[in-house]
Amino acid sequence: MNGYRLGAIGIVITFFTIITATVLLPMVLFNPVPSGHGNKYVKSDVVNPARGRQIYVREGCFYCHTQFTRLQDRGYGPLVKAGDYVWETPHQLGTARTGPDLTNEGGRFPSEWQKAHLINPRAVKPGSIMPSFSHLSNRDMNDLVGYIQTLGNQRTVHAYVEAPAEYEQVYLPRKTVDTNSDAAANAGRGIYTQNCAACHGLEGEGNGPNSISLEKKPANFTRAFYKQYPDAFWFYRVSEGVAGTRMPRFNEILTEEERWYLVAYLKSLPQNQEIVIDKLDQLNKVGQVHLPKLTEQEWEPHSGGN
Amino acid sequence: MLLDAVLSNREGSAARNFILSAIWWSILGMGAGMLGGLEFSMPDLIHNIPQLSFPHLRMWHVNAVAIGWLSMGYVGAMYYMVPSLAKTKLWSERLGNFTMWAWNAVMVGAFCTLINGSTEGREYAELGAVLDVLVAIALVTIAANVYMTVVNRKVKKLYVSLWYFLGALFWFPLVYIIGQRTFVALPGLNDAIVGWFYGHNILGMWFTTVGVGMMYYLLPRLTNAPLYSHGLSMLGFWGIALFYAPTGTHHILQSPVPEWLKAIAVISSVFLLVPVLTVLTNFFMTMKGKWQQVVTDMPLRFAVTSCMFYLVTCTQGPFQATRWVNWYLHFTQWVVGHAHLALLGTFSFILTSAIYYGLPRITGRDWHSQGLIRAHYWLKFLGFLLMMLSLTIAGLIQSAGWAFGVPVDQWGLQIRPYWGLRAVSGVMIVLGQCIFAYNAFKSLYTPAAKAADAKTAEVKA
Ligand code: HEC
Ligand code: HEC
Repeated sequence: MNGYRLGAIGIVITFFTIITATVLLPMVLFNPVPSGHGNKYVKSDVVNPARGRQIYVREGCFYCHTQFTRLQDRGYGPLVKAGDYVWETPHQLGTARTGPDLTNEGGRFPSEWQKAHLINPRAVKPGSIMPSFSHLSNRDMNDLVGYIQTLGNQRTVHAYVEAPAEYEQVYLPRKTVDTNSDAAANAGRGIYTQNCAACHGLEGEGNGPNSISLEKKPANFTRAFYKQYPDAFWFYRVSEGVAGTRMPRFNEILTEEERWYLVAYLKSLPQNQEIVIDKLDQLNKVGQVHLPKLTEQEWEPHSGGN
Repeated sequence: MLLDAVLSNREGSAARNFILSAIWWSILGMGAGMLGGLEFSMPDLIHNIPQLSFPHLRMWHVNAVAIGWLSMGYVGAMYYMVPSLAKTKLWSERLGNFTMWAWNAVMVGAFCTLINGSTEGREYAELGAVLDVLVAIALVTIAANVYMTVVNRKVKKLYVSLWYFLGALFWFPLVYIIGQRTFVALPGLNDAIVGWFYGHNILGMWFTTVGVGMMYYLLPRLTNAPLYSHGLSMLGFWGIALFYAPTGTHHILQSPVPEWLKAIAVISSVFLLVPVLTVLTNFFMTMKGKWQQVVTDMPLRFAVTSCMFYLVTCTQGPFQATRWVNWYLHFTQWVVGHAHLALLGTFSFILTSAIYYGLPRITGRDWHSQGLIRAHYWLKFLGFLLMMLSLTIAGLIQSAGWAFGVPVDQWGLQIRPYWGLRAVSGVMIVLGQCIFAYNAFKSLYTPAAKAADAKTAEVKA
């Protein structure tokens, strides 16, 4: 009998330890602050997205659709952060993706399209296997579409991409280089030519020789968009590269000081007029490229036919 | 008397009623799964009937097979096995039958609510507040009944199966109550963390523990061989107790939850190989020299098939929980296949074995037809293999799609043949289950005269 008592005590203790570690502790230690980029449900005369969320739950959309983007998901918009989910309960993260991820679905299609898609998915997407939700009442349908259109509405790129906190708080204060001075920019030019020009081009237009072979083209720093970049953000990008592209992490290659010189140089690059093309005949037509004909020897150098 | 009719006091009646209810809900639950599967192939098959739209069918399917079929069957089997291991009677048949009614009430309520989309919106914890409370009460009464039976036992030593059963009845009510989050609204990601603690432990601390306990009960009895090693069986038990419970977060490995929690989940998932391999070594060594019995003994065949599937599930599991494999496979039908491998392949098979073995011993009536048992086996076994194969292939196609950035619209077309195969497999499995139900009905409800050869089974036992 005593043997069993010991066993029982063992089971109770292990189990409560595990509950403490994996259920209670996360509630104490893991309290993400609201990031300000979660979904914002604003009610209007026509739609009530918060109610739409209830319809989303009721109709069980989350069995086929997820609501979190991962690093490797291409074309599904900005990554999510822990703070985006503070008000999302019951969570709709989802586990299976029979359909696309809906994290940033808002604004991707017009509301009319969304409605038509919900009523008969195959009318707008031939071959789709999404069920038809034509049984929803008009009010339900509108609210649901309102909800879909708010998904990711605060996760616009401008508001989202920020350097991690340590760049503002640690690196920026201890910077020794005046990134607005011509001298620093001049010092940066050499480092740039050596390390970056092969991809980003001599003028920083993203057209260096390497760019031809890259799937994701190097950034063109003369775009107006880059004139808004703060120092810390330039520094962050140069230091950590851009995930998912061939842009290297230079914090392993260049010293902190060299990277600040680069920032000074990048800031000094001129701004191009961005050209907006709205007519077909304004397009720069590119002539067809003719590849040179290869001799048999060039084609198969190992065939020994010299 | 009315009381006796409703809350029978007859020995074995609670076990019998639980098992029959389980079979009934299994048909409704698996049928819903089949219909949902058909809708993947023919999305416009059913139109404008909200009750039959795929998500509603899916909610009901999952709850019916998990809470209805497997759980009720498990309780029925425990009500039969625990007294036989403790060499005494069930503590209270009346309480057992009361729980049976309560549980059936839950299932009726679940059917009416889920099919209409009245859900808490939490995967595996969809049931509403009232039903949650009822399930909790039922679980506590079951635990009380089983624990009291063991307290009143006539043998000194507790066989491993009892360890597993008693453990499960301690763990599962707690897991259920914590995991339902009935009266709390946690912030999104915390909700997910607790949700997956529950979602995984309904498997780990209930389906696995009771299922493995049943395997320990059935294999030695069916083969007439002593268990290979008691030491190993206890090692397996403690392994499960230690490593199963913290693994839940591996379901949300790529979401922004804390890294340390993910690390705990991944490490303990990999460690799960230890108990699983000890358990299986034990089973396979017990089977040594007895494999030929599988040919003739149908309950044994179900049990051995279940062990084989258990081996596959539990090697798949730790492998999927590692970060890189998860990176590739998560979100796809591969995981759906894995879930079916565990619940349908492993635990449904062992439960079916337990029912084929136990029901004649509870009721004193032999199975109506051995041929139908074989038909059931082959339909379920081949149907399941087909389902596993199609879901796994579909999952690999989807994984490649996500990893290489192929749009859903494109790979969606590529997996249509596999949806088709899955639908076929569903039909086979449901057909098998219907045969099972018919066989059970015929065995129990034919007039006593016809059931004369039940005696032979008794003698054999
Ligand atoms: C059976 C699984 C399934 C369910 C349930 C489901 N969907 Fe879909 N959904 C899909 C599939 C597959 C696609 C991709 C094909 C298409 O666009 O129709 C899709 C596409 C979508 C899209 C277009 C996404 C894009 O960016 O292309 C939206 C929006 C959408 N679903 C919303 C919903 C909503 C809202 C619900 C719940 C009412 C829902 N879905 C339920 C499977 C499902
Ligand atoms: C192997 C080619 C390669 C080299 C070498 C390279 N880059 Fe890049 N760079 C890229 C690519 C590709 C991108 C991604 C553009 C995008 O995200 O669209 C990028 C992006 C950037 C960005 C971010 C732009 C944005 O949109 O935020 C910065 C800043 C940058 N590079 C600076 C540098 C500097 C400074 C160097 C030299 C020290 C350098 N790069 C060297 C390929 C390269």
